[in-house]
Amino acid sequence: MWGDRHMLEQFILVIATLVGAPLAGGLLFGIDRKITARLQGRYGPPVIQPFYDFFKLLGKEHIAVSRLQFIWIYGYLVFMVVSLIFLVLKSDILLLVFLLGFAGVSLVLGGFSTKSPYAHFGANRELLQIMAYEPVLLLFAIGIYAQNGSFLISEIFKQDKPLLFSLWPLFLAVLYVLTIKMRKSPFDIATSHHGHQEIVKGVTTEYSGPYFALFHLAEWYEIVLLLGIISLFWANPLWVGILIALVAFLLELLVDNIAARMTARWMVRLSWSIGLLLGVINIAYIYLTKGVS
Amino acid sequence: MGLMQTSRVKSPWILHFDNSSCNGCDIEVLACLTPLYDVERFGMVNMGNPKHADILLITGPVNRRTARVLKNLYNQVPDPKVVVAVGTCASTAGVFHNCYNVLGGVDKIIPVDVYVPGCSVRPEAIIDGVVMALQKLASL
Amino acid sequence: MMAIAILLPVAAGLLILAIRNYYARNVVVVATSIALIVNSVLLSINGPFTYTPDGVNWGLFITILDYAILLFYLYIGFTLRNWLVVIFAFTQLIPLAYFEFIMKAHLELSPAFVVDHLSLVMTLIISIIGSLICIFALRYMYDHEHHAHLTKSRQSRFLFWLVLFLGAMNGLVFANNLFWLYFFWEVTTLCCYQLISHDRTQEAINNAARALWMNATGGTAFIFAIIYLYATQGGSSALSVQTLIGGGMQASVVLLPVALLCYTGFTKAAQMPFQSWLLGAMVAPTPVSALLHSSTMVKAGVYLVLRLAPAFAGTYLSIAIAVTGAFTFFATSALAVSQTTGKRVLAYSTIANLGLIIACAGINTPLSVAAAILLIIFHAISKGLLFLCAGTIEHQIWSREIEDMEGLAAKAPLTTLITAVGILSMFLPPFGMLLGKWIALEAAYMVPLAAIFFVLASTLTIVFWTKWLGRLLQVLPKLGWPMEKLSLSYSAPLWTLLVGIFAVGIGVGPIYQNFLLDATHNVVSGNQIFVIGWNNLVLTSASFIQRDILGIFPIWPLYLILVVALLLPLLLIGLKPTELRPVYLCGEQVGGTDTDEWSAEADQKTKFLLGGYYFQSSLGEKKVNPWANTIAIVLLVIMIGCGVIVIC
Repeated sequence: MWGDRHMLEQFILVIATLVGAPLAGGLLFGIDRKITARLQGRYGPPVIQPFYDFFKLLGKEHIAVSRLQFIWIYGYLVFMVVSLIFLVLKSDILLLVFLLGFAGVSLVLGGFSTKSPYAHFGANRELLQIMAYEPVLLLFAIGIYAQNGSFLISEIFKQDKPLLFSLWPLFLAVLYVLTIKMRKSPFDIATSHHGHQEIVKGVTTEYSGPYFALFHLAEWYEIVLLLGIISLFWANPLWVGILIALVAFLLELLVDNIAARMTARWMVRLSWSIGLLLGVINIAYIYLTKGVS
Repeated sequence: MGLMQTSRVKSPWILHFDNSSCNGCDIEVLACLTPLYDVERFGMVNMGNPKHADILLITGPVNRRTARVLKNLYNQVPDPKVVVAVGTCASTAGVFHNCYNVLGGVDKIIPVDVYVPGCSVRPEAIIDGVVMALQKLASL
Repeated sequence: MMAIAILLPVAAGLLILAIRNYYARNVVVVATSIALIVNSVLLSINGPFTYTPDGVNWGLFITILDYAILLFYLYIGFTLRNWLVVIFAFTQLIPLAYFEFIMKAHLELSPAFVVDHLSLVMTLIISIIGSLICIFALRYMYDHEHHAHLTKSRQSRFLFWLVLFLGAMNGLVFANNLFWLYFFWEVTTLCCYQLISHDRTQEAINNAARALWMNATGGTAFIFAIIYLYATQGGSSALSVQTLIGGGMQASVVLLPVALLCYTGFTKAAQMPFQSWLLGAMVAPTPVSALLHSSTMVKAGVYLVLRLAPAFAGTYLSIAIAVTGAFTFFATSALAVSQTTGKRVLAYSTIANLGLIIACAGINTPLSVAAAILLIIFHAISKGLLFLCAGTIEHQIWSREIEDMEGLAAKAPLTTLITAVGILSMFLPPFGMLLGKWIALEAAYMVPLAAIFFVLASTLTIVFWTKWLGRLLQVLPKLGWPMEKLSLSYSAPLWTLLVGIFAVGIGVGPIYQNFLLDATHNVVSGNQIFVIGWNNLVLTSASFIQRDILGIFPIWPLYLILVVALLLPLLLIGLKPTELRPVYLCGEQVGGTDTDEWSAEADQKTKFLLGGYYFQSSLGEKKVNPWANTIAIVLLVIMIGCGVIVIC
């Protein structure tokens, strides 16, 4: 909470996050590619491959299709970083979800900022992805409030029972959201990391060089943020939560390699039926048993 | 080698384009990406997008129509970039060099850095050629 | 001063009606606007007060005008052969006459006008935003008639009704006497009819008539509520709004008229199932849509519900109102996704946000009421701006369709910039609308069903706003977009409102503490919002013993981050001509870098076309309206039922 910690402590935490999260995120993506390769019976790139990719992109020629692209890729990166900082400073989770929403919208608008057919398709699909996962994340925030009586993340750390016990349906729903946000099959619909040619590169088609590097950087922050949100389900002790998050991450890799890409319509339908159902049942149960705090 | 140079060598992203080949070389290029040869362990990923690519793998001889397309794609690839002409047809048009619609090898339209002859090229030769191209990329 | 607020627009309107000269009329309108703005600010500085006009028998005057208006409705109904208008004019005339002559009602009451902080907030919105829109209308109507090749100018008539309307709205928010409130209410309906039908096309007249009869059903409910109160509570003192909400009457008896009055508010705010009149009203010129149908008149509906909130606090009626409002928020957000016309998207979004405000009034905690007031203010500014942008765009490309607005950023960069900020301000942090929505969501758990509708609706709002903004931005690779010239009448209101969004958004902490908190106290006692440190908004739980923190919103840091993230790249990152590349068309493009043509079969040059996603098969009106309207009607019946049933 704002008053509890010393300002200096918070400042150091923020700097550590700003520097450490991309390193962790890049490594996670490297591990992702390595394990995926092994699952497919091949060797795969070295674990620090994402960093090679990042620096190579930084060294590319500065080209673009429209000036508007720059605004939105910076918007995506900055608001992703801000959301992560909100998580690390244990602030308001509902506001965090909205800031994450801004990041998502920025990416979509980046896809829309050129008159390119592939970017257009990618942007519209990315919007559908947002439509699929946003209700679950908002319900997740409300579920936390229902359980703790506050939207503050710091309050989660003060509870003695982990959230996983009371919010396990929401946990399942959030796992579903993780698949969408990590752009793993069956939901790698708008753009994805490998050579999926259906809509070329979707949202990121017209981005190149340094700006594409920024996109990767934002993705590294994002994976740390997502795993951080999952680890909130077991906040005391935190290492258990982080372990659960990493297991979820590995589970996503498994699902990615088993599943084929599905349609956007199927994704939205599934989310708005099962995802919402899980969230609503969870919250209704807590409301009826605990009342209003 | 500096950080930038190392990264360029370690992370070559490919754009594969087929001019008008019989697809023999294309199949061999694809074979490189399969687990048997697994070029991803060198960081190579087949990005279908010129704006994301470093290495162009071109197959097939150039004809009038694909000349325009090849030029467009080459212009959209940001520097530094290298071009690898895969197969005899891409290098010199091979058996098709006198046809009425064939303009010649790829180097009639865009500058080529590495020629990989063969009909169709073995995956090992393709990998060899790409490694040679990478060394050139590192010096750019 | 209050007299100026109400009567000056009337006088100015009549003056405008008389003037034929374009420039003289503009001067009068600008002068009136400035006077109104200054007046409202002076009123706010002065603080709350009560007032009863003496001297002339205003009551008689108002009653006569009431009959005049209702007879005029009858006349319209008969001439248009619209029997619904006729019926609902009669359902108001007959009870009114009964009330007047058979019940011999005495309608004098003191105080007749009560100006408290909530009224001051409303009059500031009406005067400032309303005046800006009137200034916009000056040049807009000139271009409008020019484009339509009208020989005889009808701008005087248009501006008369527009300015008169401001006076009626001021009267509405000041009135304490329900009967007088009813009069001002009817005047706004009359203005609405006149302004929607201004263009005199068949469609405009039909839509105006539809607006008329739907609002007339609300007027009917109003009259019945008045009669019921007078008859059961004995005497004209029952008609005082302050008495009604002050708990001076037995709650169980008061609920039915309050439910009826909420129904009236619902019709004015075009909640489901009455949304079709607002959608139809979009055929009117844009200043009408901006003033009546987003910033001001429809706010009268939510103002009434919010004003009455103390009267139904803690009852099932309150929960019913919350759920009905929340359902409208959800259903109209879904409908907005499928609309291809810009103004219809704005209309549905307006109805959705009004539903949100009504739901907040229904949830009836200090937190949700504060959210409602914040939303009223921010929505008025942002939506007013967006409607003015839509009007400006319409007068540049001469179309209202979103598909025709593709690539507007290259044709009209300035307008696109303002529109983009307007759109972003409707649904993204740190802007005020999102702040209000955030507070509403944090308060919504009291009525969980409302919270769930809020969640679904929030998602849908992201979709349709981003979609629209995206279409504006889709440009071909070309440098050097020429800056378009906007006349002062267009650009002054646009820039003022844009600055207003930032000014009120950044300063919302002090504004809440010093001004809006009092307005919240007019509705519900208690405070759950505190400002600490660098303008961080802290929400606390409702229990007065434990000040548990619900949530925190750091305002200034987020605005700073917004500037860094979006403004700096816009200003600092340039693009040289050599760095420009064409869009990716698989290499098949023909032409230069900014080409949009590619060679199709047989090397034919073909343009590529992009189309937006509208999901009309699943979210179109034909699909959604049947079930949404049915559910809305059921919810309305339940709501009024909660007023009838005496159990609290």
